[in-house]
Amino acid sequence: MTALAIASFADEAAFRAGVAKADEAGRRVVGLWSPYPVEIGAIGEEMAAPIAWIAIAGGLAAAFLFYGFIWWTATQSYPFDSGGRPLHSWQVFLIAPIEFGALAAGVAGMIAFIVRARLTRLHHPAFDIAEVERASSEHFVIALACDADDGGDVLALLADAGAVHSRMVTR
Amino acid sequence: MSDAARWLLPSMFDHKAITDAIAGPLVEGKAGKRWWIAVLISLAVTGIGVIATGISFAYGPGMWGNNSAVVWGFPIANYVWWIGIGNAGTLISALLLLTRQKWRNAINRFAEAMTILAVSIAGLFPIIHLGRPMYFYWMAPYPNTMGLWPQWRSALVWDFWAILSYLLFSLIFFYLGLIPDLATLRDREGPSHWRRIWGAFALGWQGTPAQWRSHQRLQRVMAVIATPLVCSVHSIVGLDFAASLMPGWTESVFPPYFVVGAYFSGFAMVVLLALVIRSALGLEAMIRPAHLDACAKMLLAAGSVMLLSYGSEWMSALWTGEAADLRFLRFSFTGTYSGLTYGMILGNCLLPQLFWSPALRRSVPVLVIVSAGVLFGMYFERILIICNTLSIGYEPAAWTLYVPTLVDFAILLGTGGLFVFAFLLLSRVIPLVPMYEIRELAEVAKGEVR
Repeated sequence: MTALAIASFADEAAFRAGVAKADEAGRRVVGLWSPYPVEIGAIGEEMAAPIAWIAIAGGLAAAFLFYGFIWWTATQSYPFDSGGRPLHSWQVFLIAPIEFGALAAGVAGMIAFIVRARLTRLHHPAFDIAEVERASSEHFVIALACDADDGGDVLALLADAGAVHSRMVTR
Repeated sequence: MSDAARWLLPSMFDHKAITDAIAGPLVEGKAGKRWWIAVLISLAVTGIGVIATGISFAYGPGMWGNNSAVVWGFPIANYVWWIGIGNAGTLISALLLLTRQKWRNAINRFAEAMTILAVSIAGLFPIIHLGRPMYFYWMAPYPNTMGLWPQWRSALVWDFWAILSYLLFSLIFFYLGLIPDLATLRDREGPSHWRRIWGAFALGWQGTPAQWRSHQRLQRVMAVIATPLVCSVHSIVGLDFAASLMPGWTESVFPPYFVVGAYFSGFAMVVLLALVIRSALGLEAMIRPAHLDACAKMLLAAGSVMLLSYGSEWMSALWTGEAADLRFLRFSFTGTYSGLTYGMILGNCLLPQLFWSPALRRSVPVLVIVSAGVLFGMYFERILIICNTLSIGYEPAAWTLYVPTLVDFAILLGTGGLFVFAFLLLSRVIPLVPMYEIRELAEVAKGEVR
């Protein structure tokens, strides 16, 4: 039967030690949770990498589209001679697209973040684990896959790394 | 003392203690008597502003001190002042994030909240000032039966896009930082209805390394975008003046000078808020004298730049030798509003010089006096920019002094009440200090102490 070994750690150093020991022992890490940003190797890099580019692309696209719209309204749809100024007054037409482009970059980045970080899943199986709830406020948590018969070894490994609490969860 | 440990007392080195100190009052605590008294007072003051605005809407701009020469008056001065305060929160947060300043953690959340409230209030003034506020949506481009589009060369339209973009961007930036803390509130024992609301806004945040990495990446990207955005917003406000041909306005120094002024007044408001929050919410262990010291240094630097900016402005007028510019300068120092000019110099340039003294940088009474002095000084500056120039323009026959009315003062006071009222409400529903960032700081501080 598949089981999970769940362990809580009081500080980042012990948490990192737990992840390293699990890795050395060839254990499959099912989940990691921390109460503040902790980078573990390259975990999540693939997920995070496109966010900046999506934000930049979204901002630039919105700014160019908006500039095109302004150009069209001011020179094609309703040409208006304002004190002899050129219909295409590009210097002042840049202002609104720059502001709007920055906003669009933020919106695009936020959408990318929500999608890439797989948010909006308000009901996730992880929330059924009491330790995960505490991870948002104080503890670092590691969940390792194991079988019911080698659970003791895994718990011992986590305790050795400095876990303050560990237990088996069967699913 | 180690670097990180300067910003946090050892009693807050424990993650649970941090969470309890910040989230505790929100989840379990009842609002105290002081909170209710402050809410009632701020609500009453807001009511005064609402009544005054209602009078303005019912009887028109004739209720204000504006006249055919000084057409902008209090509404535009209020707008510039509030948006200046609003500019600082996101700028402070973004700049300190990009420069990896550890003291950012204690002040960035409420500074960002301040931005959102102040910019929202600022945005009301151009609408109130329109005279026909029900048509404010004409500034937005939408297909209409008249076939008209906004006048893209108008400073009013620039303001519309600048405020709208900045407000929404700041809201996203603020919310992004809030997500992990909302998850903390969701996961604590507490009133179930609030936990459901926090849970919904937490978007299912778990705090996995992958989520953290994406979160931090976007936060940095947004900080990179926010910094020039903030500068551009107040530069656009500066252009509202500088793009004209009026004496005292048509100066290329205006955009940067407005940005520094905005940063300056916003930082003064941050100092006042920090003092209130640390005392009212018992967060002295996280908002340390070192934070106040750092903020005071920023005020000192910005105050000195303001002095340089004023000097540059005055020197430009002297150097050009233009009659209108010289008259403007003479009027500033000897005319009807000269008292405000000296008040402005005292508040913005002289009082911050007290912060050369390390002891005064950590003295609460001095911080309150100087910060309040800066806020008053900056308001004087905003109103003087309008009154001095418009009262004595190029046409002597049109010279008219500006005297604000009770309605003008009531609207300004009302917005102050609204700001305090909204801040008090926020203080009960969201953590004003970011818990996850303080935890991160605590871990670094612990390591340094060891």
